[in-house]
Amino acid sequence: MPAVSSEVWQVAWFTTWVAAAGTALILAPGVALGWLLARRDWRGKILVETVVALPLVMPPVATGLILLKLLGRRGVLGHAFERLFGTELVFTWRAVVAATAVMSFPLLVRTARLALEAVNPRYEQVARTLGAGPGRTFWTITLPLAARGLVAGVVLAFARALGEFGATIMVAGYIPGRTATLSTSIYHLVQLSRDDAAWGLLAISAGLAFGALWLSELLLRRRPAA
Amino acid sequence: MNLEITGLRLPLSAFALEVDARLEARITGVFGASGAGKTSLLEVIAGLRRPAAGRVALDGRVLLDAGRRFALAPERRQIGYVPQDDALFPHLNVRQNLCYSHAAGRPGHPPAITYARVVEVLNLGDLAERRVSSLSGGERQRVAFGRAVLASPRLLLLDEPLDGLDAELQQRVIPYLLTIRDEFGIPMLYVSHNADEIVALCDDVVLLDRGRCTRRGPPAALFTASPAPHYMLKPG
Amino acid sequence: MIRLGPLLRLAPLLAAGLCAGARLAAGDVMVFAAASLSDALRELAAIEQRATGDTVRLNLGASSTLARQIEAGAPADVFFSADEAKMDDLARARLIDPATRRSLLSNTLVIVVAADSPLALQSAADLLQPAVRRIAIAEPASVPAGIYAREYLRKVGLWDRLSPKFVPTENVRAALAVVESGDVDAGIVYRTDALISKRVRIAWEVPPAEGPRISYPVALVKDGGNPAGARRFLALLLSPEGRAVFAKYGFRAAP
Repeated sequence: MPAVSSEVWQVAWFTTWVAAAGTALILAPGVALGWLLARRDWRGKILVETVVALPLVMPPVATGLILLKLLGRRGVLGHAFERLFGTELVFTWRAVVAATAVMSFPLLVRTARLALEAVNPRYEQVARTLGAGPGRTFWTITLPLAARGLVAGVVLAFARALGEFGATIMVAGYIPGRTATLSTSIYHLVQLSRDDAAWGLLAISAGLAFGALWLSELLLRRRPAA
Repeated sequence: MNLEITGLRLPLSAFALEVDARLEARITGVFGASGAGKTSLLEVIAGLRRPAAGRVALDGRVLLDAGRRFALAPERRQIGYVPQDDALFPHLNVRQNLCYSHAAGRPGHPPAITYARVVEVLNLGDLAERRVSSLSGGERQRVAFGRAVLASPRLLLLDEPLDGLDAELQQRVIPYLLTIRDEFGIPMLYVSHNADEIVALCDDVVLLDRGRCTRRGPPAALFTASPAPHYMLKPG
Repeated sequence: MIRLGPLLRLAPLLAAGLCAGARLAAGDVMVFAAASLSDALRELAAIEQRATGDTVRLNLGASSTLARQIEAGAPADVFFSADEAKMDDLARARLIDPATRRSLLSNTLVIVVAADSPLALQSAADLLQPAVRRIAIAEPASVPAGIYAREYLRKVGLWDRLSPKFVPTENVRAALAVVESGDVDAGIVYRTDALISKRVRIAWEVPPAEGPRISYPVALVKDGGNPAGARRFLALLLSPEGRAVFAKYGFRAAP
């Protein structure tokens, strides 16, 4: 097997940290929304559930297109961002983070919701009668009891972010050294008929995905006595 | 204590819970078959459930007034709750469970209720560092009582606390409840479908049938020994 | 209960319909062509349809992608590339009929900016100015438009300095689209692309004498599904009528 070049390491490293950044970005809102969906009911809840699930079901390029319209320099968010920070979102690493965040979000919300639903509400009720407010109850009772499932959800979202392609290519393109991820690099190499180089990236990509999924399964398998 | 429930109405699946009562005994029993609405009544008093209508006041303090859309949050009611499945926090050990209310930073009134005292009275000394999952049924119940008592509640709600314990164990746990009444002076609302428990513990009994209070009175008035030592409801 | 009577009466109609459909399918001509030829070929496809009844189906994209697809066995009848190199690749792989190969068209490179952009350029070197942060360009490693651009920029010594600003796109029309959207400050595309878009304007044109030698070859693909229809379409492309259409869109004759 040929020695792995520094270029490949750069791409692998970049892919890993944008996936981590994207996952970190959606962590709090994802768990919060998962909690709302698990514990509360309201008119129009189905609408929220459906909209959140859309990136899971729509073609990623379609989601990418919507993101492009929003994050582009003439888009609502892109324009505001440029006014505030003096630099653009699209075709930079920031767009890659945004794309991975949006595509992983529904997965995180889904697994967070399941993990939180699995916590017996009785525990939360008793905690309230013992003097804990909703916040304290969440941090000391709900979260620790849901921890395993939540971590599994985060790992799953991270794995999804690692493999993101369709939306990424739309909002960030393929710019070597700047926005090239493992998946967009594989696509690019295939276009250039450099299949053997593509296989190397594919192996790394598969390895990372395998590791993340394995960890997620491990965490979900052992449940604490409830 | 003085618990006033006025015009309470909570629609349940098959009927509506409708209660109008003033409870003053040290231990008041709520007797009824499963599904009669007993648990729902406790949940409303604890603030875990909102009724469609009604007013609840404890010792003159209004906890709930549906008409004025006022409901005090459960953590501010100072009402303890021991649910049917004891609900000990599985991720905390016995001591952490017991002290949960103290960690919540609630100032306790009667300073007589200290950790040491509760542990002594309920015989929890050896259990402090144990994991909750390693406890026996009787031990779990005592820890659940201790946890609720340490929150210095003005009223303690107990939902079938002896359900699931064998007869011998039940006999061993009942004295602890009486001790809580006497040593700590905490009034209780005791829910059960078991006549023997009600007779052993309660000074006043409310009969709940399909959501309505059909009879009321001291145990002697409602129950008869038949055959001894067990009790059953007198036909009414 | 399904009523059989009416269903039976419908059956012959259905059969006829299926046959008619099959006949139409036989008349399809699959043309794989460079993205920059999109508009001209759409018009020529319509002319062909009216004249001969053949349905010309266009697969438009980067010539590099199309060549790969043909190599992988895609059912093409005609290949119209934006550079000779891709056609050479297919010729070496014996996938095209060399007797039918013609170098038909040429083009020039231009630098475009968004129609409302205030940017003014006197030469390619003006792309170095800080106001130009990003430049869209078709993928310079594979797509002809990008290869031509790289060839020219290397020749005038600007390639290395401009590289950090490039946003490579999948094909030349994608580069055009990105300039239209305003997400980049400028783009390098063919003159013919700039002409069809109202949302960009040409900021500077590479003089043909200085620019790269751009040549668009066309050829019949061997073992296509409709060789007869393919020949007819090729004849139309080479005819005076065909050349007029290409000229209308700004293409020049091959050098």
